[in-house]
Amino acid sequence: MTSIPSNAATTTSAPGLLRLARSQEGVVVVLLVALFALVLVFTMASPYFLDFRNAMNIGRAVSIIGIAAAFTTLLMIAGGLDLSIGAVMNAAGVAAAIALQSSGLGVPGAILAGLSVGIVVGFVNGVFVAKLGVNPLIMTIAMQFIVRGLTLGLSASASKIITDPLFLAIAQSYFRIGSISIPAPLVWMLLSMALVWGILRFTLFGKYVYAIGGKASACRRAGINVDRHTILLYVISATGAAFAGIVLASLQGAGIPYGAGNELSVIAAVILGGVSLSGGVGLIEGTLVAVLLVGVLKNGMTLLGISSVFQMVAEGLVLATAVTLDRLKKRF
Amino acid sequence: MSVASLDAGGEGRAAGRVPFLEARNVTKRYGGLFAVRDVTLPLYPGEVVGIVGDNGAGKSTFIKILAGDHEPTSGDLLIEGRPVRFARPRDAKRAQIETIYQDLALCENLSVMDNVFLGHEITSGLPFRFLRRARMHAETRILLDDLGIGIPSTHEIVVNLSGGQRQATALARVAKAGAKLVILDEPTAALGVRETRALLDLVLRFREQGKAILVISHEMRDVFEITDRIAVFKRGELIADRRTKETTPDEIVSLIMRGRQ
Repeated sequence: MTSIPSNAATTTSAPGLLRLARSQEGVVVVLLVALFALVLVFTMASPYFLDFRNAMNIGRAVSIIGIAAAFTTLLMIAGGLDLSIGAVMNAAGVAAAIALQSSGLGVPGAILAGLSVGIVVGFVNGVFVAKLGVNPLIMTIAMQFIVRGLTLGLSASASKIITDPLFLAIAQSYFRIGSISIPAPLVWMLLSMALVWGILRFTLFGKYVYAIGGKASACRRAGINVDRHTILLYVISATGAAFAGIVLASLQGAGIPYGAGNELSVIAAVILGGVSLSGGVGLIEGTLVAVLLVGVLKNGMTLLGISSVFQMVAEGLVLATAVTLDRLKKRF
Repeated sequence: MSVASLDAGGEGRAAGRVPFLEARNVTKRYGGLFAVRDVTLPLYPGEVVGIVGDNGAGKSTFIKILAGDHEPTSGDLLIEGRPVRFARPRDAKRAQIETIYQDLALCENLSVMDNVFLGHEITSGLPFRFLRRARMHAETRILLDDLGIGIPSTHEIVVNLSGGQRQATALARVAKAGAKLVILDEPTAALGVRETRALLDLVLRFREQGKAILVISHEMRDVFEITDRIAVFKRGELIADRRTKETTPDEIVSLIMRGRQ
């Protein structure tokens, strides 16, 4: 038998820069450049923009979306989709508020009640998608209606005011490092992102998230329990949304059952950050920068006196531009 | 029924060794249709067996029975002489039977190393189970070098690999999993000349390591180059089981086309 020559030449002859642009790291780099460009523009356009307190305001403003986006990024890299996020947020806030008023278990009970909403909803989503093969889009939209209806019904469509100072401190306090004060919601968001980053980068579970998003059938053949991982990812996504809802309730001082759904803003940020809807691709760093990008855009436009109506238009244009560029780069 | 057992068997049989896996009178029926009919075929360690036959001859159904994808309607599978039952693919895997289908079952978005270790990762720590990437890269490198696989970097993402390199990655995966029987479904169908050569050498290296190998192929040249025995399927039946040295491509093609005379 002959000694084996190396196989045919690898097909990776694309020049370095193009390779970077095509890679998931490249998306993050491009987003960072866009973020700095935006910061530069707003700094020149408004004297109020480049300011520590304004930066912290942006951080607080994006934190709710950011917390939910962090956890649903895991699900979306694995090829899943969760549109029940917004409904779960409101439901968790209301559940926490009701628990505070009537359970007598205090803040731990309230947090537990809120998170339980996410765990239950995520589990039901996951079982229907993984075990019964229901389309995730349809399943989680159905769940959105169910959860929203139940929330409105059980709260009699009334906001539940929260007065417990400890619960309010979850989102209304500051973490002080030396002379700087960081609003708590921003810290929760950064911790959420850091946790997801660690999972994706270092753990077996993180590898399986990418593997399942890449080719679930190959994972099954390799003996990986894909269904169990999928169910767990839906639980993580919904529980992350519930956590965001608890922080939101603390920030607002009330569990509000009829708030507008945030799910599309969350999913838009994740997609903008470079996660492919078909799964297998994406980085939490992308989600973080995308969340900040949208936050800076909205904040800067507000400072320039542009109405929130046009901010929605801008957010939509940014997303459309991003996904279009993503398609175009594959042609080169 | 089948006279396969009357035909000349492999060298292993002559030596009186126990086959790693033996299919004994295996039949798969769909209603009145026999997809596989009364097939008896022993597979010995260190032996490459080629399965040839026209489309619809029952080759794919047969290997799916060995891989645990289908349960036979009747007949037995024996591993080292002991009867076994494969209700699902996992059972076959547990018996150290690994099948590489044409789609290769690789995660194209992951690295060569990630694919080689998929489902068998080295981890440390609880409760999160941290990946020991450096160690897995090193082990993958050694494995690739041992098998003579020419992939420059274990960090390379599979989507960037050539068809032959992907096949090699799938084979390395199977070697890592410690397979004793490797089933290959048309492994050279999508490969160029050089890549086919490298793949055939890889199969021969598996044989040197004492693995039993079963290859479905349409490529008569490849079949004659690497196999020790050739099993001819026609209309679900095993119509001939020849030692490769004692037959010719003409005879095999004639068997495939016209059946037993």
